[in-house]
Amino acid sequence: MIEAPATTSYLSEHYADEAYATLSGYEAKGGYQGLEKALGMEPAAIREAVKSSGLRGRGGAGFVAGVKWGFMPEQSDAMKLIVCNGDESEPGSFKDRLIMERGPHQVLEGILIGAWAMGAERTYIYVRGEYALSADRLERAIQELRDKGKLGRDCSGKSGFSHDIIVHRGAGAYICGEETGLLESLEGKKGQPRSKPPFPAQYGAFGLPTTVNNVETFAHVPFILDRGVDWFRGFGTEKSPGTTLFGVSGHVERPGLFEKPLGTPLGELIELAGGVRGGRALKGVGPGGLSMPILPSSDLDVGMDEESLSARGSHLGTGGIMVMDETTCMVRVACVISYFFREESCGQCTQCREGTGWLHKLSRRIEGGRGQPGDLEVLGRLPKMMEAQTICAFSDAAAWPIQGLLRHFRDDFESHLPEKSCPFGEGFEL
Amino acid sequence: MPTIQIDGKEYEVEQGRTVLQAIDDLGLLMNGVEIPHYCWHPKLSIDGSCRLCQVEIEGVSKLQIACNTLVRDGMEIRTTTEAVRDAREGVMELLLVNHPLDCPICDQAGECKLQDYAFEYGAKHARTREPRRPAKKAIELGPTIVFDQERCILCRRCVRFCREVPRTGELGVFSRGEESRLEVFPGMKLDNPYSMNVADICPVGALTTKDFRFKVRVWFLDDVPSVCNGCSKGCNVWGSRSNNRLYRYLPRRNDAVNQTWICDTGRLSYKQFSEGRLSLPRIRGRETGYTEALAAAVRILSEAREAGAAVVGVASPFAANEDLFALRGLLSDLAAPDAVYTVPRGDSDDLLIQAEKAPNAAGARELGMRESAEGPGKAAVAIVLGHGFGPEAFEEVDALILIDTHESPLLQAAEVAVPSRSFAEKLGTFTNSARRVQRFQPMLEPRFEAWSEGEIVWRIGAGLGLDRFRSAYDPAAISRQIAEEFPAFAGISLESLDDAGRELG
Repeated sequence: MIEAPATTSYLSEHYADEAYATLSGYEAKGGYQGLEKALGMEPAAIREAVKSSGLRGRGGAGFVAGVKWGFMPEQSDAMKLIVCNGDESEPGSFKDRLIMERGPHQVLEGILIGAWAMGAERTYIYVRGEYALSADRLERAIQELRDKGKLGRDCSGKSGFSHDIIVHRGAGAYICGEETGLLESLEGKKGQPRSKPPFPAQYGAFGLPTTVNNVETFAHVPFILDRGVDWFRGFGTEKSPGTTLFGVSGHVERPGLFEKPLGTPLGELIELAGGVRGGRALKGVGPGGLSMPILPSSDLDVGMDEESLSARGSHLGTGGIMVMDETTCMVRVACVISYFFREESCGQCTQCREGTGWLHKLSRRIEGGRGQPGDLEVLGRLPKMMEAQTICAFSDAAAWPIQGLLRHFRDDFESHLPEKSCPFGEGFEL
Repeated sequence: MPTIQIDGKEYEVEQGRTVLQAIDDLGLLMNGVEIPHYCWHPKLSIDGSCRLCQVEIEGVSKLQIACNTLVRDGMEIRTTTEAVRDAREGVMELLLVNHPLDCPICDQAGECKLQDYAFEYGAKHARTREPRRPAKKAIELGPTIVFDQERCILCRRCVRFCREVPRTGELGVFSRGEESRLEVFPGMKLDNPYSMNVADICPVGALTTKDFRFKVRVWFLDDVPSVCNGCSKGCNVWGSRSNNRLYRYLPRRNDAVNQTWICDTGRLSYKQFSEGRLSLPRIRGRETGYTEALAAAVRILSEAREAGAAVVGVASPFAANEDLFALRGLLSDLAAPDAVYTVPRGDSDDLLIQAEKAPNAAGARELGMRESAEGPGKAAVAIVLGHGFGPEAFEEVDALILIDTHESPLLQAAEVAVPSRSFAEKLGTFTNSARRVQRFQPMLEPRFEAWSEGEIVWRIGAGLGLDRFRSAYDPAAISRQIAEEFPAFAGISLESLDDAGRELG
């Protein structure tokens, strides 16, 4: 189990309390009141509330959840599904794990509200294979709900409302966290993102209308219903309301999770984590997991929300902040990042399958002191050939960090060439 | 019907089609509108993974793949912009990063889409200095297909083909990322009646047929449109020839007949034209000249006519409509009954393979001939187009005049035997099981003196002094006569038919 956040707000307020992961403990803290209110509302009114709350998906893309819910067909002969994405695999991201372990009922309550709002009869929660405790806690919580009649036919005291929730454990592929790669995997197929259209709301899991939301996205929903849209909008920024669990890792004194409103300055979050380790100077920060462009130390004032970050050439992603101090070789970082994406590409699209391998081989060669004139031009051009052209955003995720590194840390790359070795020390091969 | 604009020109297209499908429907794909593509195939499900077919669409910020973007009214598509060209160049460069570039020893060279598009969109020099991914060569996937893993670009056409067309699903892409590789599922072989189609749809030299591999460079071949004569489906083919020899059949697209496919048996039937041919006329088994043989046939028939003896005719479902019509005329002038014929039968499926293992059984039926299991019965003379009954069917016939393409057991029983051109060596039409009349034309020159069955019949008729055979033999004129005499053939003639054929009325 990972530690409860060092700073808390509504989401993680009770995470230090073990009992909060149980139904009685959750209800003792006001749990399932959001669902009770929701079941007294028309489904359309719930969708409207979630939409006007401005809640944005917390899985990395930041799409407005209420709008996504509106894509589901109102009338459908086919059963409608919800899929809750708990395949958290983004390096630097570990918030969903904590939520599933310590607040499983938040997720389930959010799912049930979504189910009533969208007329969905079944939910699959796809949990990352390595997250054994998350899956156990969710299954225990689901059993508690079943025992209390909160799941099943005419459940939660509402006639005409039927829902069941099934936990599905993944098998450890990063790409299965991608919405449609997840659906394929859930169906027992190879985890490969689907070409869209059709979109999941028309043709999702098993061909049924499906809405896929991230674990954290569902966890916010009960609070919006219980405490109101205006209360929710009291956190965060106009376009990115609410809090999130920022993960801070890397070269900091106290890595961990910190619940803070979206828009909180990056520097403040690093300070909360005890600052850069050993009093060293900061070199760069990946603000949103491994997939987002890495920022230079001069960007510490940036607000951690999508609008502010994209103005600086990066993105919020999953809010997993990775801190790199002055001893970090950015070519080595490029090597590690490109190795990850080379391993995890599903291999469907040309740009991604061939580009990730090339990126890795190239950065490995430069890091190993075998760089040649012209290599940096290729390294600059290659990510452009890979971005915005593929079935899913994986290829962009592989390309963007390299672009960020070259933009802000070109010196590191250039110094490798004449020295024919890594100026930060030998002995690295990946 | 939505109207779309492609590079400034307006077209009406069908609702619900994707951009690439709509352009294919218009007949413009790679034929006026150049949108290179690998994974997309008109007869397979959409994959959308090669990313080569990206186009610019007005009002959409990113490039979109033409194969999976639905048309909408007023859509403006641009295929020739710099952004589109950049994207194509990017895909081509990436596809070549791990490609062995072994065109000089690759069978696909000359008809390879990787080669074509690399020529069009590729860089002059590779910018990659990294070692190429190691992969296996010459893997036998099954009895018909050899796989070169180095050349594979993972478009998965073959995977989708096996799943969707023969529905045997032997192939899959295993592992992920750049380790992805095409393989047969464990314990399986690529072995189905349509297996060799994967070599056709493979846009590169990764899948080749054992039959064609290393036989000839494709630039020495020219392709003649024809029709397979292996069964009554009449699958459209290209016959690839060089130096008066056929090297292969490739399926020729005809959406009304065989889509873009052909069965393996039909594909290999191109070999029939060189093996076991009857090459010299014979009189009672003795090899002789054409003139002597025809004179002997004329003599036998005129003696029978003078004696009032019975003459019968045997047609063949392998002969063309024009041959059959000529035979019908001769029989009618000799007061003989309608010709009989027999059709060999075998396995069939719901895809292409028909039980009737002959190309023109429907034509024989339409032209008033009678299918019979027994043969012509008792007669003084039988005029026989070969490829049907065995010698036992002619036990009660005194003199057998045989016109045949191949040597057969009938040869022993024949009084006179005249070699004829195979259908690969002549012009004519077949009527397939769906009553579609399809034209074929000579793919080869006969390697010995031979005329078509129709012309041989014609010359015998002329030798007998019959009026209708006075003019020179002309299959086109015969096809016009068929159209006059048989209402179902109205408007159909060798001249009016195009390579797609036409259904009988």
